[in-house]
Amino acid sequence: MAIKFDSPEAHLKDPVAVAIRLRAPEREGIDERFGPSDVSPGLDIARNPRVARILRNRKFQFFLILPNQIIFWTVIFVGLMGTAIPGLNFGAAITWYVWFCLVFVMMVVVGRAWCAMCPFGGFAEWIQRRTFFQRTQKTLGLGRKFPEPLARIGFVLPVASFLLLTWIEEYYNIAGPGNPASTSFMVIGIVATALVFFLVFERRTFCRYICPLTSVIGTIGSMGSVAGFRTRDRDVCVSCKTKDCMRGGTEGYGCSWYTWPASADSNLYCGLCTECYKSCPEDNIGLFLQKPLTSVVAPMRRRADVAWAVALLWGLVLYQQLNALSFYSPIDSWLNSHLRFPHYPNPVAYLGMIVLLSVVTAGAAKGIAVLSARRDIGFDHPGNFMDKGSRFRAYFLPIMYGLIPVVGADYFARQLPKFFKSAPRVIPAVQHMFGFAGTNSSLYNSRILSDPRIINVQVGVIIVGTLAALWATLRITNRELVGVSRNAFLVRATTLGLVAVCGAVAALLYVAMQAAN
Amino acid sequence: MTQTISREVGVVSDRPTVQILTDRCAGCQECIIRCPTSALTMDPKRWVALADDDLCVGCRQCERTCPFSAIVVDGPMLVEPRSDPEPVHPIRLLGDISEIRSGYIGWSEVLAEAERCLQCPDPTCVRGCPAHNDIPGFIASLRDQDLKGAHEILRRTTLLPDICSRVCNQSAQCEGACSWSLAGVAPVAIGRLERFIADNMDVAPPQIPSKANELSVAIIGSGPAGAAAAWDLFEAGAAVTVYEKDATPGGLCAWGIPDFTLSDALAQRPWDQLRRAGLDLRCGTEIRPEEVGELLVTHDAVIVAIGAGVPLRLPVPGADLDGVIEATSFLQEAKAALENGCDPQEFCATHGLESFAMGGLAPNVLVLGAGNTAMDVARTARRLGMRATCVDWLDERFALARPDELEEAREEGVEVRFSRTLTALRGTGRVAHAELACTTQRRADRRPKVLAGKFEELDVDLVVMAMGYRNDPAFAEVLPGTPLKKEAVGVPDRRWTASGILANRASAFANHNAVGKLALGREVGLWGAALAVSERLWVIGDALTGPATVVEAMAQGRRAAAAVLDAQPQGPSRVDRVQSNGPGRVLVCYASIGGKTARAAQAIADGYSAKGVVTRVLPIVKVGAAELAMADTVVVGSWVEGFVISSVGPAKAMKSWLDGLPRLGGKTVAVFCTFGVSPKGTLRAMRRALEKKGAVVVAQAAFGPEELEAKAGIFGPRAFGEGLARLATIKEAVKVSV
Repeated sequence: MAIKFDSPEAHLKDPVAVAIRLRAPEREGIDERFGPSDVSPGLDIARNPRVARILRNRKFQFFLILPNQIIFWTVIFVGLMGTAIPGLNFGAAITWYVWFCLVFVMMVVVGRAWCAMCPFGGFAEWIQRRTFFQRTQKTLGLGRKFPEPLARIGFVLPVASFLLLTWIEEYYNIAGPGNPASTSFMVIGIVATALVFFLVFERRTFCRYICPLTSVIGTIGSMGSVAGFRTRDRDVCVSCKTKDCMRGGTEGYGCSWYTWPASADSNLYCGLCTECYKSCPEDNIGLFLQKPLTSVVAPMRRRADVAWAVALLWGLVLYQQLNALSFYSPIDSWLNSHLRFPHYPNPVAYLGMIVLLSVVTAGAAKGIAVLSARRDIGFDHPGNFMDKGSRFRAYFLPIMYGLIPVVGADYFARQLPKFFKSAPRVIPAVQHMFGFAGTNSSLYNSRILSDPRIINVQVGVIIVGTLAALWATLRITNRELVGVSRNAFLVRATTLGLVAVCGAVAALLYVAMQAAN
Repeated sequence: MTQTISREVGVVSDRPTVQILTDRCAGCQECIIRCPTSALTMDPKRWVALADDDLCVGCRQCERTCPFSAIVVDGPMLVEPRSDPEPVHPIRLLGDISEIRSGYIGWSEVLAEAERCLQCPDPTCVRGCPAHNDIPGFIASLRDQDLKGAHEILRRTTLLPDICSRVCNQSAQCEGACSWSLAGVAPVAIGRLERFIADNMDVAPPQIPSKANELSVAIIGSGPAGAAAAWDLFEAGAAVTVYEKDATPGGLCAWGIPDFTLSDALAQRPWDQLRRAGLDLRCGTEIRPEEVGELLVTHDAVIVAIGAGVPLRLPVPGADLDGVIEATSFLQEAKAALENGCDPQEFCATHGLESFAMGGLAPNVLVLGAGNTAMDVARTARRLGMRATCVDWLDERFALARPDELEEAREEGVEVRFSRTLTALRGTGRVAHAELACTTQRRADRRPKVLAGKFEELDVDLVVMAMGYRNDPAFAEVLPGTPLKKEAVGVPDRRWTASGILANRASAFANHNAVGKLALGREVGLWGAALAVSERLWVIGDALTGPATVVEAMAQGRRAAAAVLDAQPQGPSRVDRVQSNGPGRVLVCYASIGGKTARAAQAIADGYSAKGVVTRVLPIVKVGAAELAMADTVVVGSWVEGFVISSVGPAKAMKSWLDGLPRLGGKTVAVFCTFGVSPKGTLRAMRRALEKKGAVVVAQAAFGPEELEAKAGIFGPRAFGEGLARLATIKEAVKVSV
């Protein structure tokens, strides 16, 4: 008579299992916490066998990264060795006329699509894992944890690195584009920094905590329609005793982004690397699509670092718009002469303006909080930067989430002039690498759109962004702020008003910039 | 519980503090479900872990189990100091073979030590114990002063608590894997607690079964592996015959471990009980390798438990001089000398140490090695009045001997020199001098390096090579696949990773050995013991894995006995052998990428289930030796990897899985694949890989894009109908030989 598998009589019943007396995982509140941000099972594209086959293939991400790897090593090489004419140098042309704009399109549509194919992190990860695509056991490097005090401020550090990179870019006029060699040095700098971080710290510490783009992609990418890899059945994940998606399994590495698919409530930290999908032994992870703006509206836990990142990014883009206006030039000169820094951008003015604009935005949120918050609710609770609660935070955090589409639209609109005016130059730049085509090429001098029309597109983009922000803010306000406010109409009016004002300011600044030109 | 600031970590704060890195905490609850003190809970709003410092004792279990390193624990470990009874060194060492180590005398000591146990929900000590004793279970019973309950819990997994508690190197096993040890302070004295149970409650003799099992099993060897296998098979009613080449049973426990560590009475206890119960034990009967085949004719199953008894010799100049002997002969002769009233001079005379026999200076014995055998040799030599020096090329931090054994040996006057290796022995006819070179070793898993130009010389009268043992090459030749490699290849079982045992690479209490890695290696051997190396032939203990420990051998013996009982093999003499030819329990395992192979596997399984066959479907990542051992028939399926016609074959994951399989000992296997364009040589490659592992492949099928639903459901039964006919033919043709 056959003994049933796993029956008590089975001779090989694992005695270890008998001695394990794990506490039951807590499930209380899990539906309330994740229910609103859960995506529809019907939007799991990994259910499609062909998609599943591609996602399971270990070479998938390698082939995503490889073309970009080739392009960016070409950028480095051509930038250093090629012509000094920026528009004709492939390195400068592809980076500033096409790539930066394309990254914004990708983040708005997909989220962290760029992270999945990023050649900087990808290159460093190949070295860290000592393989292009295989599942290896031993990694190269020290595998240190990122220092906790720095990790605790989340997106603030990447925003700082983005501000620094932008300042360097402005100082050397890299993205102008100026001297193509500067573009090469910048890319080399990013690759080298990434490599150092990958060799010192574990997983994708660089991508999560340092990369200048991560805060931009993380915040603006939350508008995207890809929710990322999420659990198909949360109960299975909660009961899972091995967590291969986090620790790594036979077929895949543990999540490099420190994300557990069962507790992901947005696409903020899903790098779309497919490792969790590959490693899950239960086939309980899917790749989900979502409606646009879902990751802006749906998360129940608002992150302070994200809110401040939005505010600072908003400050930066406004600063960039303001300094393009004619009135800013004398201010800059005055500051330079008094601070003895004889170059644009003056770091004090640069940082000061960005912080000032961010604080003004945060101040507006505080004003709404003062005006609207109920007096009978205790908002304060102690904690660190991420965790503490206050009346200001109760309003500031959701309002900043609602502002994301305006900020995203503003950044996107900033990239459009270069794209429309100079994107065709990429073709003669490619030809120039092989010894033909030059500044007399018709494509070198052609434009997709000319100036008077570009401003229309930019304002159109801002309007679309503002409308999206208004919709998101209304949803967020209704869910999170109406209940804690004295007057529902007042809080709706003020939050929507703030978004509208921000959108209007951004649009007006583009009009003013056009006028200044 | 009072607070003790442990010297090991040198911290001065009052209490441990737990910091949850909320940015990184994903709320997976791995820490919460494993926290021994319930100091961690969930914050449902933020869905991150919350820590209560007042409940934390600082064991760092949460740090070790967090997949994202999102917890940091600082501060002292709140645990009482460990209490170990002092060893009882004889006042006059010469000729004294009384036991050195004493157990706990009273309940107060036991309770104090038992209170140190954290009762971890996922106890790493259990994984560290090769037998997987339910350590928190029996300690909980001890806390309740329930000796009987504790003994019952222990007996579920071990037959030799009295022996193992004395001879086990707990520092590299259960105690090395104790949460406190992994955290950096002294572990719970698990071995002492086990000994207290064993000292105060005898292991009951084997129960004579009311109903006899028709199974006839021959066991070659009577070491701990053989004893455990014999015990379990005997209790199950099988007719067990044990063949032992020595005059007394017990193997290494009998002749290799001196009385001051393990008395003869204890070493013989299991065999005395088995013999009294009626087991057929044939001492003085040597089975040569070529005779194993004959045993397979007369028995339904044969278990080879011959140990690894061939001593290692250091190939240095002068190794063939007189006065250079092996540990086996030294220990055996010394044991006889000491037991027979101890005449050291007579012993010395037999080893050419006439000067000592004539009343001269005590001879210098050089013992090569500083492991447990070397310690036994050196300490025995001291009891014979000799001066003993042990040399080992390992760094002392990574010593292989039990820490307490090393300490005891030094107390008894044994000089132990680490970071030394023998380069030459010199003498005229008889060894007189030993040349030693210095070595250096940085890590436990690194081979020591010999330093150039640093030498020293010793005057020696006798050299005993005690570096360990290896398998008998004559047996290894006829036993396919032995010795089993014990390294856990590939990604470790994530249940082990999750427990935190692999998180600490080197614990000071385990001589800086990675206890988790060691334990995983032992696990490979344990599951390997359950699988027959060829039809009706099992190999266990040191013979399977190479030199190991008593407890490991015992666990393997029990595992093999269970496997034999489960498989119910039938030798040529059994008349009902034809009736057993059926698929039995079927395991369908697959490597799938897009879900098609998984569906095919399910369809095949459904076909079997419809016929009333017990069936299980698993992806290959979940199939290990345990799952294979629990199946009578295995169906293996893969998707076809390759580019249309180039490099077409089984999926890489499948190939790597097949390469890593243990011996399948005649297990019935079918293979299938799913393909888009052409399977080409996929099935052939899978079949060859499986046959290389000893499986009998009886059926194969390839499913094209359109054929899946139509064929898969009938694949199993129909194919096996034909395949089993072929199998019967093969079996008849096979002569019962190895």
